[in-house]
Amino acid sequence: MLLTAEVPPPEPVAGRIPGNKGIWAGILSEMTEFALLFGVYFIARAHYPEVFRAGPAQLSTLAGTLNTVMMISGSYFVAKAVHAIRQNRQQACLRWLFLVLLAASGYMVIKALEFQWNLSQGITGGRNLFFTVYYYLTFTHIVHVGWGMIGLLWVMVRARSGAYTPADHDGLEAFASYWHATDLAWLVIFPLLYVLH
Amino acid sequence: MSHEKLLDRLWLLLVALTLGGAWIGEAAEPGLAVTIIVALTMAFKGRMVVDHFMELKTANRTLRNLMRGFFYVLPAVTVLTTLFGDWLAKLTTL
Repeated sequence: MLLTAEVPPPEPVAGRIPGNKGIWAGILSEMTEFALLFGVYFIARAHYPEVFRAGPAQLSTLAGTLNTVMMISGSYFVAKAVHAIRQNRQQACLRWLFLVLLAASGYMVIKALEFQWNLSQGITGGRNLFFTVYYYLTFTHIVHVGWGMIGLLWVMVRARSGAYTPADHDGLEAFASYWHATDLAWLVIFPLLYVLH
Repeated sequence: MSHEKLLDRLWLLLVALTLGGAWIGEAAEPGLAVTIIVALTMAFKGRMVVDHFMELKTANRTLRNLMRGFFYVLPAVTVLTTLFGDWLAKLTTL
């Protein structure tokens, strides 16, 4: 009787929350924030269809595409890191996390180069409503990637110190969930701003 | 297929779809058909990340439905804005 009181019953698999509830409060807030910004995009597009049709052609498709590859790859690398720790491969987990850091850094460098290129073309937020929305959405996304990179560094320190085990790696899962959510936001930004004429 | 192999293949597929999307953006004539293809690609990519990278396919139902819902609603609104943009503009004019 005492033993059953001390050992809680296993959580049903169908109800499992990856990471922890706190990170999901953050993720759902993030998705709500982006949903509102996408709402602004759609309303602005409805009012100024010509401006929004012409906008993507003036942006660097190469930069948008490379950043999408960076975000998707970062998401893949972190999924592999979680998979590695479940198999108790701690060094492999750390190597995958290092690749996430490379992908995130690559994203930041490409974004900086893209903004520099934009400015050399005279593309500022005040040019027209498409670019106002473009800068709002992309700057917001950069901020979320920045928060994620701080979390990533913390998770790397924890992984290096052997804090994660196959039985206990909620912190790593929480970071992974956040990083995937940031990837998901970009998977909407890319087609809306760079592809859809 | 093992989970690890699924992740590897999905990564390649998502990158390939991204390159395809970039090609559409550069080369295809704008129109409703292209908008539908772009929206479906957005929906598919989002669903794959939600289900397999985020592992929500077998996790908490509420979280799964909320995250999947994002990739039903936004692609649908993308197409609807193309079809009924004038109506949306009138509805949102102050």
